[in-house]
Amino acid sequence: MPRVLIVDDHTFIRRGIQSILKSSPGWECCGEAENGIAAIRMASELKPDVIVMDVSMPGLNGLEATRVIHEAQPEIKIVLLTLHDSVEILRSGFDAGAQGFLLKSEAEYELLRALASVVKANNIYISPKVDAADARGVLREFSVLH
Amino acid sequence: MATLTGETEVQKFSSAATTRPLRILAADDHDILRRGLKQLLTARPGWEICAEAKTGREAVSLAEQHKPDIVVMDVSMPDLNGLEAARRIHKVLPKTGIIMLTLHFSDQLVKDIVESGARAYVMKSDADRDLVNAVEALANNRTFFTARAADMLLNDFSERNAAPAVPQPPTPSRLTSREREIVQLLAEGKSSKEVAVALGISVKTAETHRANIMRKLQLHSVSELVRYAIKNQIIEA
Repeated sequence: MPRVLIVDDHTFIRRGIQSILKSSPGWECCGEAENGIAAIRMASELKPDVIVMDVSMPGLNGLEATRVIHEAQPEIKIVLLTLHDSVEILRSGFDAGAQGFLLKSEAEYELLRALASVVKANNIYISPKVDAADARGVLREFSVLH
Repeated sequence: MATLTGETEVQKFSSAATTRPLRILAADDHDILRRGLKQLLTARPGWEICAEAKTGREAVSLAEQHKPDIVVMDVSMPDLNGLEAARRIHKVLPKTGIIMLTLHFSDQLVKDIVESGARAYVMKSDADRDLVNAVEALANNRTFFTARAADMLLNDFSERNAAPAVPQPPTPSRLTSREREIVQLLAEGKSSKEVAVALGISVKTAETHRANIMRKLQLHSVSELVRYAIKNQIIEA
């Protein structure tokens, strides 16, 4: 069963994600972290299959943590979680090594699909609400790297 | 139920099977956050989420319908923000305790929260530690503010009593309720026509409100109004 590390500085978001994972028999939450530094340490210790990583966190943000983890442990998939539908964050996220980009506004309904996409199907995942042209542009840009 | 004053009643909400459930309305525009909030609060015996709202307008409507004991509400929500929703809920349901959830701390925000009628302020980053305590406080007719917020309110009260009165610059609280609502809609990118449709008023009335708002706040463009709305947490950045 794929193991998920949840990284977000807000308790409610971590609890919400945990609740979704618990309701689905196919996923296991193996740990939680509330900042980028803890995420790096826990990724090294727990070796999850996938990390759900908030972009905006105090101290080391999710993009930088993604970069560090992807370099050290490229086998770990990373789904970025963000409030903002921003092509810059989308681009930076894939540049850092993330495979998924999930808007918090869609997380309740899209989280499991995002995880299945990156872990089970080994695909890129981008939230449906992200502008299609932006998504296509970024995917074209990074298609040779993934 | 013990009566402390002629007008208020204190009702103890505890895990005892004999007391009625504490009914909480949860309002936040993010489904996943409401799920987490629900998980945190319903873990307490005797606490139930009686309704969930995604916008401030929905929160007001559901509060009127369900008459919850407590409302837990995000400050930043689309359509009608949490502060304005709190004002309206407090007006029709003065006994309902309102807890505001926010991402950021600011002195002005704490003042706005108190002026809206809410009696508690919890930062989302500290929710695991503070929210349950805040709900318990309000359920027992107390307020809940962190030490930092309480210090700020006390200092502000002292300064206002010590200093001679000076004319205050325009602030959201100096706008009417309708004007505050329109500031949010304009800052969210709606045209005067769309504001009129959203509020069920004429375009001319919407434009008159818009002109009054710009004059009161001494703003000269929509971009200034957006900056104002973000600065005063009427909308999220």
